[in-house]
Amino acid sequence: MSGEHASVPVAARVRRLEERLIDAGVVGQDQLDAVLAAMLKGATPLNGARIVARAWSDDGFRARLLADANAALPEVGLSMKGGIQEQRLKVVANTPHAHNVLVCTLCSCYPIGLLGPSPSWYKSEAYRSRVVREPRAVLAEFGLHLPDDTAITVWDSSAESRYLVLPRRPDGTGGLSEPELAALVTREGLIGTAAV
Amino acid sequence: MSRVNDVGGQTGFGALEIEADEPPFHADWEARVFALNSVLVRNGVYRLDEFRDTVERLPPADYLAASYYERWLAAIETLLERRGVGTGD
Amino acid sequence: MTEFRAGERVRVRATDPAGHTRAPRYVRGHTGRIVEMQGRWALADEVAAGAAAPRVEPVYTVAFAARDLWGAGEHEVTVDLWESYMERVEGTRDER
Repeated sequence: MSGEHASVPVAARVRRLEERLIDAGVVGQDQLDAVLAAMLKGATPLNGARIVARAWSDDGFRARLLADANAALPEVGLSMKGGIQEQRLKVVANTPHAHNVLVCTLCSCYPIGLLGPSPSWYKSEAYRSRVVREPRAVLAEFGLHLPDDTAITVWDSSAESRYLVLPRRPDGTGGLSEPELAALVTREGLIGTAAV
Repeated sequence: MSRVNDVGGQTGFGALEIEADEPPFHADWEARVFALNSVLVRNGVYRLDEFRDTVERLPPADYLAASYYERWLAAIETLLERRGVGTGD
Repeated sequence: MTEFRAGERVRVRATDPAGHTRAPRYVRGHTGRIVEMQGRWALADEVAAGAAAPRVEPVYTVAFAARDLWGAGEHEVTVDLWESYMERVEGTRDER
């Protein structure tokens, strides 16, 4: 962040950098376009919601998902191979007595392919510093108040695994189809900062 | 030595700011920085851990003052400069 | 190469490396419980340092009691740690 850079508006700085790298043959315009298109169209919390809806509807899938998520994802047409290399996915299930919540304290590791780019609060110092120390206070700021006897596990994704929370299926949803169930699932539910 | 990014358990960052209906990116340039980094890693210009290392080496005051994708942009520029890639214009 | 087993107690080495590392400061020197071995990956510290052939090591999910980390709290924090970040705590075996 030299003085020269600071004087150029950031959008123009990015455009110039892009042009220089394309001209030099370091990156291709088609490559950049492909990454952007895949990100904006393919990577959304709808993917995570579909996984959850299937797990709520099919006990066999749920068991396979929790045992080996990478092997189970193709059953719903998804994979962890969309990034630079295949990433290990670990799905952690909430129960009436156990709640899971995700963080990356060192940077911002997140299952982007399944949830899209992470929200700003997930990347913030406030969230990253506090959720490992005082998860109940942090969850309360999201409006999630867990019973005192609920065991909380905070998953700090500090290496090559990415995590996804399998929320509890809401009561009174017995007759709903998978698409109807998927519509109930929120991004925050998949991170563990909200119930569904 | 611990770096500025290593904030787990640190105090003083205050309450969460939760933005309702937040878009994937707040500006076009943020998405472009995201894509650029992804392609640079894919093309082997640098490795993801080298990128993280470079973000972490930002002076703490700059790191904390910068937005998320401003940090990324600064790290990309630093890495490219260090490797002499695409800098001759 | 040593491999830890699920349930075994390990201590994160109280190192303070000059370069990039993925052992967060808040677990260094603390004792946790091996949950599972996730797989083997190149050691991030060496990749970040530009090593041509970085060491490939097992990575484990390690659970820490909040009380052990912060002196308070009922929750658990799990951190993903490369094998060389840790050492075995002899003569202990988690009862859970």
